[in-house]
Amino acid sequence: MIGNLTGESFLIALSGMVIVFLMLAILCLFIPVISKCVRFFEKRRQKPEPVRPAPAAVPQADPAPAAAQQAGVWGGEVALIGVDEKTAACVMAIVSHETGIPLSELNFKQIKVL
Amino acid sequence: MEFSFFGTLQKILAESGFAAFAEDPRSLIMILVACVLLYLGIVKKFEPLLLVPIAFGVLMANFPLTGMLDGPDGNGNVGMLWVFYQGVQYAVYPSVIFLGIGAMTDFGPLIARPSSMLLGAAAQFGIFSAFLLALALGFPDAVAAAIGVIGGADGPTAILTASKLAADYLPPIAIAAYSYMALIPLIQPPIMRALTTKKEREVKMEQLRPVSKAEKIVFPIVVAIFVILLLPETAPLIGMLMLGNLFRECGVVDRLSDTAQNALCNIVTIFLGLSVGCKATAATFLTWDTIKIIILGLLAFMLSTVGGVLFGKVMYKISGGKINPLIGSAGVSAVPMAARVSQVEGQKANPANFLLMHAMGPNVAGVIGSAIAAGFLIKVFGG
Repeated sequence: MIGNLTGESFLIALSGMVIVFLMLAILCLFIPVISKCVRFFEKRRQKPEPVRPAPAAVPQADPAPAAAQQAGVWGGEVALIGVDEKTAACVMAIVSHETGIPLSELNFKQIKVL
Repeated sequence: MEFSFFGTLQKILAESGFAAFAEDPRSLIMILVACVLLYLGIVKKFEPLLLVPIAFGVLMANFPLTGMLDGPDGNGNVGMLWVFYQGVQYAVYPSVIFLGIGAMTDFGPLIARPSSMLLGAAAQFGIFSAFLLALALGFPDAVAAAIGVIGGADGPTAILTASKLAADYLPPIAIAAYSYMALIPLIQPPIMRALTTKKEREVKMEQLRPVSKAEKIVFPIVVAIFVILLLPETAPLIGMLMLGNLFRECGVVDRLSDTAQNALCNIVTIFLGLSVGCKATAATFLTWDTIKIIILGLLAFMLSTVGGVLFGKVMYKISGGKINPLIGSAGVSAVPMAARVSQVEGQKANPANFLLMHAMGPNVAGVIGSAIAAGFLIKVFGG
């Protein structure tokens, strides 16, 4: 025996290390399961909220090009075909910046994915 | 009444603190120690936010005849520092500091790579090996456990454990813990370089996946439920850490999150520092045990780093060379200092290496790991 060191001390130290490992290992296994559950519920919640108005309502609000009525959505006065509003806003901002024409003076008719 | 100017002057001097130094000159040495600590905090910037109030607490505690440490005398008188100390005695301050740490911590990197948890566990090796070394040096069980927790590199956890298991040794333990935390950029790199090859240090890690807001909100709730139910002794630290983190992530209590991160944390830091410092009186501090604790604290830090880096090497092998073992050293819970050291060392080996976010995972896992280790030791030795 050195100082107060006994066989039991080693056992306590070993048990402590094992418990710390065990608890963090369980959390390590637990986190991906929780993440998967959370992502599953997030996906389910997002599904019933697509960003597209009823096709019939579009022409009534504002007449749009025929192609846009069939395949796209209306974002204000612009027909959006295959692009979401966020991307469309980015495109409009880039065009305005590159041409130097203020956004208020530009008139976009449609933005379409090529 | 007969009044004498010189008589009064003589009385004032006889009853002053200067005259009291003659009774116990060791207080003068403690004042000198306080001045050295102030120098380290202010000039050398060793964890100044804590070392400056701790040092000033040491200074005030060693002024004779102030009565600031006296408990209630039954006539409504009580020492100011005694009142402050109750927050340490009943583990209030460390827990509130953990609330602030939780509010400042992003658990995203840990959620993105949960295997970081194991690195946080491996870096607690220093706690248990320093516990054994302290026993070998003749410290009683409970004191050895409190000394070992210095190796967790987590000041509030070390203070909480010491206040519960070894109140008389609180000042040297707290001072060692905070001083070595400040010295992490000097202590860790030589160990990291000695235990890893250049090839291992050069490993570039894959980018972490984005973590959703919902995952970040659920994480603190689940960890609190699981850890506290399994080890109730960790409730003050883990509970407050996770509450602080929930404030940060839930997005509906920004004011509370801001208060926990700034005002509350700063206020409690002042009280915590003063309370720890005020226990460092000559009788308890000027002993060989203090020197032993300072040395054991350094060994505990070094061994924790060794544990983290060696397990990092194991993960490097298991992952087929995808994990840089340098992030293992960040498993000691000095947030974010240890993660920054991993980043610096990684970039020295490969300038295109960005390990900071990868090292933050083990770093925050280390906070949880050291709280669990402390909870275990309190359970075993707390009576």
